[in-house]
Parts: sequence; structure tokens; C-alpha cells
Amino acid sequence: MNQKEPEKPWNGPRLYVAVGAVALGVLIYLIGLPGSVSLFGTPLADLTVPIALFVGTAGVAITASTAKAGRWRVVDIVVASVLGVAGGLIFAAWNVASTPLREAMVPPVSALVVGVWLFPAVLGALVVRRPGAAVYTELVAASLSALVGNEWGFSTVWYGIVEGMGAEVVFALLLYRSYGLVTSLLAGAGAGVAVGLLDTVIYYPELAAGTKLVYVVVAMASGVVIAGLGSWLLTQALARTGALAPLASGRTAERV
Amino acid sequence: MTVLLTGLDQREASTAPIGRANPAAKLLVASIISVALILTVDPVTAGVALALELAALPWCGLPLRKLFRTSWIILLGAIPAGIFTLLFGVDSGSTLLGLGPVTITEGSLESAVAITLRILAIGLPGVVLLATTDPTDLADALSQNLRLPHRFVLSALAALRLVGLLAQEWQTLSMARRARGLEQGVRAFGGQVFALLVIAIRRGTVLATTMEARGFGVDAPRTWARRAHFGRGDWLVVLGGVGVAAVATTAGVLAGTWNLLLT
Repeated sequence: MNQKEPEKPWNGPRLYVAVGAVALGVLIYLIGLPGSVSLFGTPLADLTVPIALFVGTAGVAITASTAKAGRWRVVDIVVASVLGVAGGLIFAAWNVASTPLREAMVPPVSALVVGVWLFPAVLGALVVRRPGAAVYTELVAASLSALVGNEWGFSTVWYGIVEGMGAEVVFALLLYRSYGLVTSLLAGAGAGVAVGLLDTVIYYPELAAGTKLVYVVVAMASGVVIAGLGSWLLTQALARTGALAPLASGRTAERV
Repeated sequence: MTVLLTGLDQREASTAPIGRANPAAKLLVASIISVALILTVDPVTAGVALALELAALPWCGLPLRKLFRTSWIILLGAIPAGIFTLLFGVDSGSTLLGLGPVTITEGSLESAVAITLRILAIGLPGVVLLATTDPTDLADALSQNLRLPHRFVLSALAALRLVGLLAQEWQTLSMARRARGLEQGVRAFGGQVFALLVIAIRRGTVLATTMEARGFGVDAPRTWARRAHFGRGDWLVVLGGVGVAAVATTAGVLAGTWNLLLT
């Protein structure tokens, strides 16, 4: 075990990221957002100041919280990798098993099946509780799915990164402090939105805008139920077995 | 499942010029071509890219029969997406066939062809990458040439090696359940998957301790048993990928069909 003093929050790359976030906030303020686009009836231009403030402060807060959440230990990395590999094997089975389902359903209904492909992202973050765990676990799972061979080939890896980032954003915005049921459901939703958007861009770019929106919402619902709720239940069950004892999630688990 | 996994951790080294290139080079080519093709949905760009990729195939060390065996499954994804766009895509141009809500127009026919070609053209470089690359070489290239964090890359590779062990554990679990007379079914299957997951995590924890005991993950500079070399030939392969992307995009722009997707 490397017993080292806790990391300083503002060393090296973290400082650059925080400065970059502040610069981006200032840039948004200086350039201003377009007035032609409106969000729930408010022109985006009227929201320039709050959005600029949000980007700047959220960026700084998230980078600071990655230091607090701690450096990845070897056991964190290996367990996240193992979860990724297990997820990849489940993907390989689901890729084959879900084919008749997907052929039978027409988009946007076919987005119902995507949740299964999102669970390693949420599970990895819930179990390991380190910044980047969602992206890393999902990436490993997707890479194995591609190595085994599936109908999407190498693009599975891109999907893995984007899906992982969809879940990661939620944990990051909560400053890597919250790993409860609600967070888990939100992370599932985030991953669902990410995969819904990517599917509509790559596979169904020619659909009507309304259908695309429904597709994204269905994908989100699938992510919430299968990836969000499923991963949370799975983490609870794993913690009860004691297998998570060396990890952050196991240390906070309730013991009977 | 075991049939799917055979040959996952050992692939014969390719001797063809593109096949034996550094995995990082092949990865760059697959990335560059997919980015160029994701930007636009048009039959000319995707068609030209696909034609150039097929022309480069003889140098990839992937015989056609082997290619079909590994990539027919991509067709399985490309063709339904095309048919779907044909039937339900945004209509434009003259109607070729109309059946109530389902109309096939010149516009939707063109989109359908474009989407099918695009999925194939994005998929093919990935098929070549995955079929000609050994995971160990890929991990060496990722950590030594692309400078990705080696603790993560090597842990993922170590976890990949657990796949064979987990398949054995699955057998053991099945036999134990059989001996206890437990019934088979969806519930039983779920229970067995959970048991496998617990075994995998416990094994991972032990593996991590073992790796640390051998000095893995300390801050001292890392040395490598296998050097991954990124040479002139690898740069040529990358250049070829850039060439395919550039020629395809230029062809699309000249033909007037190139359109930036997000605008």
C-alpha cells in the first residue's frame, strides 16, 4: 500500500482544467448565447449570466471534488476492470439474445432494450466510487463486446465512451459525494439520453424531430429502470455478500 | 458462450503490411474514417470510403472468407436500419410507392442507401482492427505509444485474462446447482449470474493484492518487457486512413451531396 499524504486539490492538470472552466464561463458571458434558440419559452440570450456562472463554478467545484474523491488505488482499478469484463460478457449474450426483440420492434419503441447496455457504467461508479469509474467500466465492457464480435463492430467502443460519460456527468455534478438510489436513477437517465442522442445521430438521422425526441425519452426510461434501478439493487446485494469490503462502497455498507 | 469466446485472448500475428501495423495506427485509422463519415449522411462519401477500404483489403491480411465470417453480423445491423429509413424516413422528391403512412420516395431511397453504406464503411476498418490485433499488443500500444495511463490499460488486460477462468467457474456453479437438484429457469439463471459476479469481484480483489505485491502501481518509472514500436510503416498506414477520409469527403463535396449532419 502506498501511504502518502492526501493530494493537494490544485496540482498540475487539475489546475488547468479549473482555469479552463472559468475561462469558458467568461467566454460565454462575453460572447453571449444566441437569442434565436429558446428554452421553455425563454430566449437563451436571457440566460447568459446564470449559464456562464454555472459553467464556471460547476467546473471548479467538480475538479476540486475529484481530488477529494481520491486517487484510484490498484484494487479500485482492478475491480472496475473485472466489472467491465463481466459487463462485456453480459453484453455479448444480450447482443445475441436481443436481436429478435430489436428486429420485431420499430424505433422509437426499440430503444426499450438499450438499458442493458448501460448498466456497467452505473454499477462501476456505485461500486468503486472514483471519478471516471462510470466511463472506465463502460469502456472496458464495450471493448470486450467489440472484441467478442457484434453487429456494430468497433463503433461499440465509441458508444461505450459516450454512454459512460452520460452517467459520469450525473456523478460529477453531484461532486462524487452521492451514491444513493436517486443518484443512481439519474445516472441511468443520463446514460439513456446519451445513447438515445447517439443512436438518432448515427442510425436514424433521417427521422422526424418528434420521433427522435420520443426515441431519446424511451432510451432514458430504459436507462432509469434497467441501468439505474438495476445497478442500485445489484450494488446493495453485492455489499451484503461482503465482496465489496475493500472498496469505498463496502466500507459504508450497513452491517447487520 | 464458450464458442463465442474462443480465440479471444490469442490471435495469430498477421504478416500483411496493414495487418501487422502497430495497433495504435489501426486504431487511429478506424477513428479518423468514422469521424469523417459520422459528419455526413450521403451516398457518395460513404460509397467512396467503402470502395477505397475494399481496395485496401488485400493488404490487411484478412482473407475474404474470414472477413465474411467476422463481419456478416454488421450487415445484420446495416440492412434493417436502411430498410427502416426507406419506409419511415422524412419524405422528399417524387413518390415511388405509397401505402398509407408508409411512403417510399426518391428522398427516402437516397437516405436509405446512404445509411446502409455509411454503417458498412464505418464498420469495416473496425473489423480489420479487431480481427488482426492481439489484445496484448493492443494494450502495449495503448500504454506505450498513445501514452494512456498504464495502470488502467494493464488492469483491463489482466481482467480480460479472467474470462477463461470465469467460464470455468460458470461450469462449476452449474454442476454444483445440478448436484443440489436446483431447478433451472430464469430465476435460477439470475442467481447464478450473481454468484459469478461475486466470485469475479473477490478474484479481482485478490488479483489486485498480488499485483501490488509485485510492485504494480507504484510511482517509480515503469519498464516494459515488450517494446511497442511505432515506425515509418505505421505512419504510412495512418496517412492512408487520412487519405481515405479526405478523398471520400472531397468526392462528396464535389458531387454536392455532402451535408453536415448537425446543421
